[in-house]
Amino acid sequence: MLEVCNIDTFYGKIQALWGVSLRIDEAEIVALVGANGAGKTTLLNTISGLLCPASGSATFLDKRIDGLTPHYIAELGISHIPEGRRLFPVMSVRENLEMGAYTYHAWKRKEETLEEVYRVFPLLKEREGQLARTLSGGEQQMLAMGRGLMSRPRLCMFDEPSSGLAPRLVLEVFKVIKTLREQGITILLIEQNVKRTLEIADRAYVLENGRIVSEGKSSELLQNNHIKKAYLGL
Amino acid sequence: MNLVTVLDIFIGGVLIGGIYALIAMGLSLQYGVSRVLNVSHGEFIMLGAFATWVLYTSLGINPLISLVIVGPIIFVIGYLLHRTLFRSLFKSSPSLPAFEGSSLLATFGILYIIQNIAIITWGSSSKGYTFLASPVNLGGAIFSANRLLTLGFAIGIGVAFYVFLARTRMGKAIRAAAQDPDAAGLMGVNINQVLALCFGLGTLLTGLAGVLYSMCFSIQATMGLGFTIIAIIVVVLGGLGSIPGSFLGGFILGIIGQIVTYFEPSLSLAAYYIIFILLLLVKPTGILGK
Repeated sequence: MLEVCNIDTFYGKIQALWGVSLRIDEAEIVALVGANGAGKTTLLNTISGLLCPASGSATFLDKRIDGLTPHYIAELGISHIPEGRRLFPVMSVRENLEMGAYTYHAWKRKEETLEEVYRVFPLLKEREGQLARTLSGGEQQMLAMGRGLMSRPRLCMFDEPSSGLAPRLVLEVFKVIKTLREQGITILLIEQNVKRTLEIADRAYVLENGRIVSEGKSSELLQNNHIKKAYLGL
Repeated sequence: MNLVTVLDIFIGGVLIGGIYALIAMGLSLQYGVSRVLNVSHGEFIMLGAFATWVLYTSLGINPLISLVIVGPIIFVIGYLLHRTLFRSLFKSSPSLPAFEGSSLLATFGILYIIQNIAIITWGSSSKGYTFLASPVNLGGAIFSANRLLTLGFAIGIGVAFYVFLARTRMGKAIRAAAQDPDAAGLMGVNINQVLALCFGLGTLLTGLAGVLYSMCFSIQATMGLGFTIIAIIVVVLGGLGSIPGSFLGGFILGIIGQIVTYFEPSLSLAAYYIIFILLLLVKPTGILGK
């Protein structure tokens, strides 16, 4: 479904990604694991078009997407739920969700999708008229996820969806991600909670200093000594 | 000071306030979304006014019809200006503050280019025409019909614009882009198009204000800069980035201007600056600022 091939990405003159390759198949959950500053967010930003790679290619559903602008990539069916939620603070919950359905194909089915999202996150319906900035951290994360689903995406990329949340809400986030997969949505997941992430993911890539250092089935990575030491604290 | 004088000052302020409100909303959009502090903003009120004057005096076209002729032309000028000049500046700027600096300087250039072309074309003397100048009595205070008409149109345009931002798909995209351009891009908003659109809508609102202004007052090729300054003051007064704030602020400044003019006409511009400086010191976020 998504094929990233030998990507180099720079911030100004500083190289952040070095020859990164990654593949995601339909209906998979793929996890991206790595320390802070390893390049996880940079990779997601490169896929969604916020950053333009200096070299390499990215293909989504047989279409080259590297170098395209974010709005075009969103239109193709990739939803990027960015780090730090990035809600529209002085728009209401409902307006934030409507913005999620901004793409042409999603706008037509906006009311129907809204009902579906409200079914997954009933709390958002209660808060419908409230400004996004008045929500609690957990509610904001629910809204960011709901907004990301409003485009009826083929591929959802979550960047640290549970960051800053209470343990009970973290469980909730993982539950939602599992439900999404059951609905046939493909998922690329960055999470700080490496153990739990590897437990729900099919495969994973480990990123260190801007390079992919290992990849494989999550179950195998969970047994890998380096992973255990570096990320699981075992 | 009797009641009629108070009414006279108040209504007079509201009448000019409508024009201020439109130009301030335009500037607020250009700065709040497109991040261009447009010093040439006032030149578009001048262009709108002169275009209306030319159409009326040479072709006999009713100024109200000029609203729908001049408006779209000025919108396209603003849109293309952003697509070409400001887009290139944005691409070549290493950061947003750098872009704000270079675009500010560029708009100074645009100011003088437009103003000099206008002086060469129309000369620097005052121009004007008479349109619907019959007097109307409002509770003892007397105003010409054209000023009441301009106010009606200014409020109508302002409200229509607010509804556009609040309700439509494109209006929501504009607000989202103002709050977080990257996130708006991820939602599928074509950000370059929205930035150019906002710049064009800014010149459109100002051009329309120019059409309305020419119905009531005499116009000069050098009138633009004064309006730019008023627009900047109103935007700060209403709260940076707040469209309703700019709308309301326009009327407040209009009324303050009339009060000062009543006591000492030569002090009105000085009064505007004093308000501006006091605001920056006491409440830099403005009356409806966040």
